[in-house]
Amino acid sequence: MVTPSLVDRFIAGAVSAGAEIFRAPDLRAALDAAARLIEDESIRTILASPSLRKAAEEAGLDVRLPEGTADIAAAEAGIVQADFGAAETGTLVRLDSGDEEKLLWTLPSLCVCLLECRTIVPDLQSLAGVLSGHLARTGRPGPQVSFVTGPSRTADIECQLAIGVQGPARLVIGLIEGQGP
Amino acid sequence: MKIKTLDSHLKGTLQAFYESWSVKRANCYLGLDFEALRQTLAEIKDDAIARQDVLLDRFEEQARRHGSRVLRARDGDEANRLVLEILEKHGARKIVKGKSMVSEETRLNHFLLRHGVEPRETDLGEWIIQLAAMSPTHMVMPAIHLTRQGVARIFSKHLGREISAEIPALVRVAREELRREILESPAGLTGANALIAENGSVMVVTNEGNGRLVATAPPVHIVLASTEKVLPSTADALLLLKILTKSATGQPISSYVSFIAGPHRTEQYIILLDNHRSELRSDAKFREVLRCIKCSACLNVCPVYQVVGGEEFSHVYMGGIGSLLTAWIHGLAESKDLAELCMGCHRCDAVCSTKIPIANLVVALKERLVRATGKRFWKKVALDGVMGHPLLNRGTFLAGRAAGPLLRKKGYARGLPARLARYDRFRALPAPAPRSLSGRFGKVKRSLRKKTPATKGRVTLFAGCLIQHVYPEVGLAALRVLARLGYDVVLGPGTCCGFPPWNSGHSASARRAFRYVLKRIKGEGPVITLCPTCTTMLAQGGPDLVMRAEAGRRRSRRAGGRQARDVRRFAERIVTFSQFLARHEKEALQRLLSRGGPGKKVTYHDSCHQKYVLEASEDSRTLLRMAPGSELVEMTGPASCCGFGGAFSVDHPEVAESILEDKLAAVAASGADIVALDCPGCLLQIRGGCARSGQAVEIRHTAEILAEALRED
Repeated sequence: MVTPSLVDRFIAGAVSAGAEIFRAPDLRAALDAAARLIEDESIRTILASPSLRKAAEEAGLDVRLPEGTADIAAAEAGIVQADFGAAETGTLVRLDSGDEEKLLWTLPSLCVCLLECRTIVPDLQSLAGVLSGHLARTGRPGPQVSFVTGPSRTADIECQLAIGVQGPARLVIGLIEGQGP
Repeated sequence: MKIKTLDSHLKGTLQAFYESWSVKRANCYLGLDFEALRQTLAEIKDDAIARQDVLLDRFEEQARRHGSRVLRARDGDEANRLVLEILEKHGARKIVKGKSMVSEETRLNHFLLRHGVEPRETDLGEWIIQLAAMSPTHMVMPAIHLTRQGVARIFSKHLGREISAEIPALVRVAREELRREILESPAGLTGANALIAENGSVMVVTNEGNGRLVATAPPVHIVLASTEKVLPSTADALLLLKILTKSATGQPISSYVSFIAGPHRTEQYIILLDNHRSELRSDAKFREVLRCIKCSACLNVCPVYQVVGGEEFSHVYMGGIGSLLTAWIHGLAESKDLAELCMGCHRCDAVCSTKIPIANLVVALKERLVRATGKRFWKKVALDGVMGHPLLNRGTFLAGRAAGPLLRKKGYARGLPARLARYDRFRALPAPAPRSLSGRFGKVKRSLRKKTPATKGRVTLFAGCLIQHVYPEVGLAALRVLARLGYDVVLGPGTCCGFPPWNSGHSASARRAFRYVLKRIKGEGPVITLCPTCTTMLAQGGPDLVMRAEAGRRRSRRAGGRQARDVRRFAERIVTFSQFLARHEKEALQRLLSRGGPGKKVTYHDSCHQKYVLEASEDSRTLLRMAPGSELVEMTGPASCCGFGGAFSVDHPEVAESILEDKLAAVAASGADIVALDCPGCLLQIRGGCARSGQAVEIRHTAEILAEALRED
């Protein structure tokens, strides 16, 4: 049972890192919300992680699966899903399996990431065992872990914060309250 | 060496960065025990350094299991050659790079260009620096010394079109250009923030996301990492991460952290670079330097860095920690200018993520430098001659006093030779007082004894040479307070404590000066000092010098043990004036102070050693609040350095002046009538500065303020 405070703490951390949050009761509702958001932005090219494609299409999103790096770079939005959330810092944790998935998180200017509330843990340290186990797996491509907290940022010019320098300028996190379908 | 200080714009940028970083960092650590965290990380790093060979073998074995190729490089040249061989093997004439200080250390870009390969930096700051053909001036913010207009000029020139000097526009240009470069590149190189032995993965931390793009998009990924980055486990790397970003940028965590095990696409190569780190590892004194995680917190708080910037205060690595890394990686001679720019204020020690005693290690480095490269002439005269020889020390001041009527004008020196004008221009230097403290002490003490009998036993007052010869009124004020409290005050020797030679690496002279003091302060009871720097020397620096010398001598164990015990006992007796009063005599003092009186605004200047070594600043504030009629107001940056630093302000008067400027501005803005402080060096600097700039504010030692507040009996 996830205590509400863990979710609230996650939201506080993510928002202070510059992420935006919406909440939905289940996966379908989350994708509906994502569809509305994308429509508002009049975005045409949307790529989704393979695991989300079917559900995204059902929600009326015109999504494609990524076809190579150039394709991902040309997309305006990417819809992805995180494996865990760390409440302390508002961090999304992804146990990546391939480079395209990783690029899908990074290249489009808008990244919509879905996260199930039940996967939120207090902090990254709580995941040490899981991460360590994942990174010990063999196979090609090799195992990866990504932590993503807020959009891409820099303060390299006059120490002024600027968003979206290499990765997404917007990171929108859709929190799924239920267990999902 | 004459150092160029920053212009006011850049100084302002660094200052603003420091202020916002301090607040963000403090917020990040709220509710966390920074001391406990850094202690744990220091222990993890120490353990990893001790077991480095085993851990690196384990890392290599695990990384190979994932299909990575692991290569070892003895030095920078070898690492560069390995990178080139890999690129040639894959037919790559171009490589994109994530931020890597290790590649700066090996001058990889320079090497690749010479061999027909085009390196392209992709971190925004590094890219700007590369286009401008400059070197990074900060480990985390490489282009911190450039303005947006400067960046726009650099981009316009590179792209052959006019780029607007607005930050969002500049960032957009970088996004488009760098993305194209990354996606087209056949190879990418990143550094590593940690190498994890248990699973052969590499941790890369960035804010922009370029690290993960460079590691993921090109077919070939090269990791260039120095050997001390190895850690046993993922949990250890997570702890390092927890501290690293908070200390580096004041963020709870950076935007992107990647753990990469094995190749993404075609190949992954991991080059493990030693570059003299194994020599550093086998040096018992300096090994701790390898704990550095390159967070740059030490640099952000450094008062010298804040006014000279990283162009002056770097070889490749910057600041005090930079001098230590440079001494091994690029050679002792290269570290000299950097080490001399360290004032020894100890601010860095307070924020270091892995508890490296940076300031004291820099002193130890200076000692080695002095042995290896000799001494500067003026330091031979002043530090070895005048300060290192107690009799000469006295003689010099006697001569100065005798010539007093010629030299003195309203307490300040006049008619200094033109060559000394650099030192006198921004702060009026004091002339020796007409009579020394020891010359006046006995008479004052006798008259006080008539009023208050000594009922509380004996204390020794160690006033230090500045108070003995220049500011005797401070010593007499302390005598008044202590005598009224019922102490029998005996005056210690009025010679140098040994700090100035010690801080310049002149250890033999420092030891001689310290031993002289040690021999002349007999008996028992507290030794009360009027200077936090003397306190540090008498309680820490001096005892350490004597113990080290004893350890090196072949003597009977019993004699050595006795000496060590004596020195330890002596060190335990040392206490500063305000510490002594605030901790033992607060109530008694309160009874002696008069009530009411005209209200004067007092602002307190924290001397570096008072705050960062003795942690006694609050004791002084407690006492000042007790003084009647004085209202304590805080200036902005009460703990900002005044720029004195003893020999430092003689070596680098321009830097001392630039630091002092900010202090004087803060004093003026506080609206205070009096600046209270506890260090005669700061007194000299700030009073001299106020005299030169015409600021009508009194600069007083805490002892003087308390003595004046005593009730008449």
